[in-house]
Amino acid sequence: MMQDAAVAVDAPDPLAVFKSHELRLVPESGGLLEKLFFRAAGQNEQAVMTDGLFLLIFWFSVFFFVLLMGLMVYWVIKYRRRPGVPAPLSAPHNGPLEIFWTVVPSSALLVIFLAGFWGYMSKVVAPADALRLNVTGFKWDWEVVYPGGEKPAYTMPLGTKDAVKIIVLPENSPVQLLLKSNDVIHAFWVPDYRTKMDLYPNRLTTYTFHTEKLADDEVYRDHWVFCAEYCGQSHSEMYAIIRVVRQNDYEAILADWNTGSLSCEELGELVYRTNCVSCHTVDGSPGIGPTWLGSFGTMRALENGQQVLMDENYIRESILYPEAKRVAGFAGQNMTAFLGLSEDEIAGVICYIRSLSEQGQDTPEGEEAPGDGAGTKGDSADG
Amino acid sequence: MTAIDRPQDVVGHEHEEGSFLDNRGLGFWGTIWDWASTVDHKKIGLMYLTAVLLMFFLGGVAGLAVRIELMEPMRMAETIGEDGTPTVELQGVAIDFGSEQTAEDGTKYWSFESTRESASTTYNRLFTIHGAVMVFLFIIPSIPAALGNFLLPLMLGAKDVAFPKLNLFSWYIYLTGATIAVVSLVLMGTDTGWTFYTPYSIQTDADYYRVFLMILAAFVLGFSSILTGLNFIVTVHKLRAPGMGWFDMPLFVWAIYATSIIQVLATPVIGITLLLLIFERLFRVGIFDASMGGDPVLYQHFFWFYSHPVVYVMILPAMGIISELLAVHSRKHIFGYRAIAFSSLGIAGVSFLVWGHHMFTAMGELASAVFSALTFLVAIPTAIKVFNWIATLYKGSIAINTPMLYALAFLFLFSIGGLTGLPLGALATDLHLHDSYFVVAHFHYVMMGGTVIAFIGGLHHWWPKMFGKMYNEKVGMFACVLVFIGFNTTFFTQFILGTQGMPRRYASYVDEFQLLHQISTVGSWLLAIGFLIHLGNFLHSLIAGPKAPPNPWGGLSLEWEAESPPTAHNFHHEPLVKHGPYDFESVVPPHCSEEEFPLPKSVS
Repeated sequence: MMQDAAVAVDAPDPLAVFKSHELRLVPESGGLLEKLFFRAAGQNEQAVMTDGLFLLIFWFSVFFFVLLMGLMVYWVIKYRRRPGVPAPLSAPHNGPLEIFWTVVPSSALLVIFLAGFWGYMSKVVAPADALRLNVTGFKWDWEVVYPGGEKPAYTMPLGTKDAVKIIVLPENSPVQLLLKSNDVIHAFWVPDYRTKMDLYPNRLTTYTFHTEKLADDEVYRDHWVFCAEYCGQSHSEMYAIIRVVRQNDYEAILADWNTGSLSCEELGELVYRTNCVSCHTVDGSPGIGPTWLGSFGTMRALENGQQVLMDENYIRESILYPEAKRVAGFAGQNMTAFLGLSEDEIAGVICYIRSLSEQGQDTPEGEEAPGDGAGTKGDSADG
Repeated sequence: MTAIDRPQDVVGHEHEEGSFLDNRGLGFWGTIWDWASTVDHKKIGLMYLTAVLLMFFLGGVAGLAVRIELMEPMRMAETIGEDGTPTVELQGVAIDFGSEQTAEDGTKYWSFESTRESASTTYNRLFTIHGAVMVFLFIIPSIPAALGNFLLPLMLGAKDVAFPKLNLFSWYIYLTGATIAVVSLVLMGTDTGWTFYTPYSIQTDADYYRVFLMILAAFVLGFSSILTGLNFIVTVHKLRAPGMGWFDMPLFVWAIYATSIIQVLATPVIGITLLLLIFERLFRVGIFDASMGGDPVLYQHFFWFYSHPVVYVMILPAMGIISELLAVHSRKHIFGYRAIAFSSLGIAGVSFLVWGHHMFTAMGELASAVFSALTFLVAIPTAIKVFNWIATLYKGSIAINTPMLYALAFLFLFSIGGLTGLPLGALATDLHLHDSYFVVAHFHYVMMGGTVIAFIGGLHHWWPKMFGKMYNEKVGMFACVLVFIGFNTTFFTQFILGTQGMPRRYASYVDEFQLLHQISTVGSWLLAIGFLIHLGNFLHSLIAGPKAPPNPWGGLSLEWEAESPPTAHNFHHEPLVKHGPYDFESVVPPHCSEEEFPLPKSVS
């Protein structure tokens, strides 16, 4: 990789090390198989679990493969054709044997399915205290906005790219990215965290992971971010770096990146004051429309009797296509579609509504309802 | 019909019928017209064979080009040398255009952005050509349309398929679709990937007709597939020889039958989908493009609702071939005939319920869980088949020749292909492996290690029947070993690339992946050499091969009762089926002596 080894150090810049063009990828670790398949052991609990399931399937497969191929080779040699010697008589079928080799692998498959589902849920569900970033994919890069409105300002030249974005994250923290695309479909993949999610231009999806703890002698650790869904000409150049740093360094870097722009919540509140305040309250009192206080992540009763989860996609849809899902108890009140709001402003409203829920009620320790926006499709049908 | 030894043709031709390949004294143009207007399933089958092999070559060249591009990652921006002249290389070739840029710190460097962009664009078009040609023009018609057309009526003891003229019509539809696709390629090809995912496929190359033409080609080819399937279903139902019940049919026929059902039921869905895509591109109808209010995920559902079942259109006929090769060359009754036959139908049924496993990163939790569970269900009938095939070898009299080597290679490669489907079906591991090289390796092990390997094996097995000439066995076996080694070198490395984090459809990559990419590329050359040796062997056989006997392998299914090559109407008299296709322990094969293929009772 092309690296700019000569980092300017003449001025005493405490953050210089984080602007470094030196790529510090995860060092190789783990057993022989882990090194072969993954280069390094998983970086968080979910990744370790994924690797464990992969290796379980691997050994299961090796067992059956060696058994089958062993029998095949042995029989091909043992029963090879000898001129003038016919094949001995043998049974052309065996019912109990068929049942045996149907039932045994089927039960093993059931175990693999359940383990896969369990691991999947632990990957897509974010804890309530997760650090939430807004990520937009476009041809052919990523735009990242931190909760305080900061945007990554450090880049490094790599490969054929002059400026690869460095996304800085604090160590040992749960992170949830709210993903959307500006153009075609992309997919956010950090191989070190063993999970990926698609980005769509017409709805929001989420990407959840937990950053690892740095070793004592480490200042930062880098992870590749790749686009995994083909998006055209420079698809293979759509990469970035996640740089995991210590909490205090993270705060210092974000302070360095702060250009005074509004935080996600502040932007949302601004949008609220300009557009929404005439109908929606934020103190729990009834307005022309439903109040926003304590609403996020709850089930909403609709006029048609359905119950739907109020999540990111629900809010986005309600802003753009208010008539698609009408909350019960507001008959006769019609909301205007706010098609003029930008995706950033919509993301702000989501942040704001979420913050109102976090203030309004003490969320108990543990997991909130799945915030994976990918689950709520159907908004498309309203277009 | 009473068994009369070699009677004159019942219909009453004035002379003994010659091979269907005889041009009966027609001149050059006469022969061309004879083939172009033929309704003989054998000639149509051979025309398909020529076409699909040509397409395999075209797709293969694109695939090799893709591999060569991946020998090295693209590294182009280099600083200007001491003497002020930029020396910049792209993939080892010096490039002499670009523009001078100044970096933030004041150093000047030469940027070759435009060169990299055109290299990426070329790469994207090449992998699309490779995928689209291999899927739509090669694999889908390879076994059913080429070998199926030739063999199905012969195996059933029929003179032709049920609708011979419709069969010719299907061939011309295929030819039309192939021509449209080639025109699209001549116009620079498309960069959509063979999946035509929206909204990319709607927006790219908006000012050109090539994407429209490629989609149109896939749409047209679908009709060929539907009509061939329909033809085969009716043929199996109505044209079985007297005495042949459903469970007396060779397993290849069962496999083609199950395939045809999928073709008839699933292909219309892709037809409608592609038509909607064409409308959307040409008339800006907002169905899939989010910027027009459509939903891109809807396209994925529509597309995979066809394209997953079609995976079984590709693999089921291959499984049918393997059943034939293993039984004939082991001289053993296929183990678990009914289990294999019903698992074909089982696979055809379940194949319609698993499309969502291509979209685990696009769907919610509930849909993902349901599709993951259903996906594991489809693994079961496939596993049953493999167990039965291997059990068939037990106590056989196993000949080692090119078809058998290919059958064994199939068992090896297809088992890997099947087993590596497990981490893709399990949700937690799929989130990591989805859209990575692991998927690329997995479907190449299934599609190429399965279908192509079976196709080449079947081609060797029925080559003497098709052309009446033997091929050179030693050369065939040598090439088979080369293909096997080349294949594993090319694609096993890609499993590891995938688990390590290499995304698919990348024109370039980060440094860590280079070694594995290089091994893979070298493997692709071995693979290519192996196939070229096969080609030479076949051409040599056509020109100078020794004459083939009617039944060189001692097969019992009806095609071996016909001459090699068969006469124009296949059989001298309508065959009467008195034994099953796998009764090797009790029946002396037609045209063969008992010394050559002894029966068990004669030794005891």
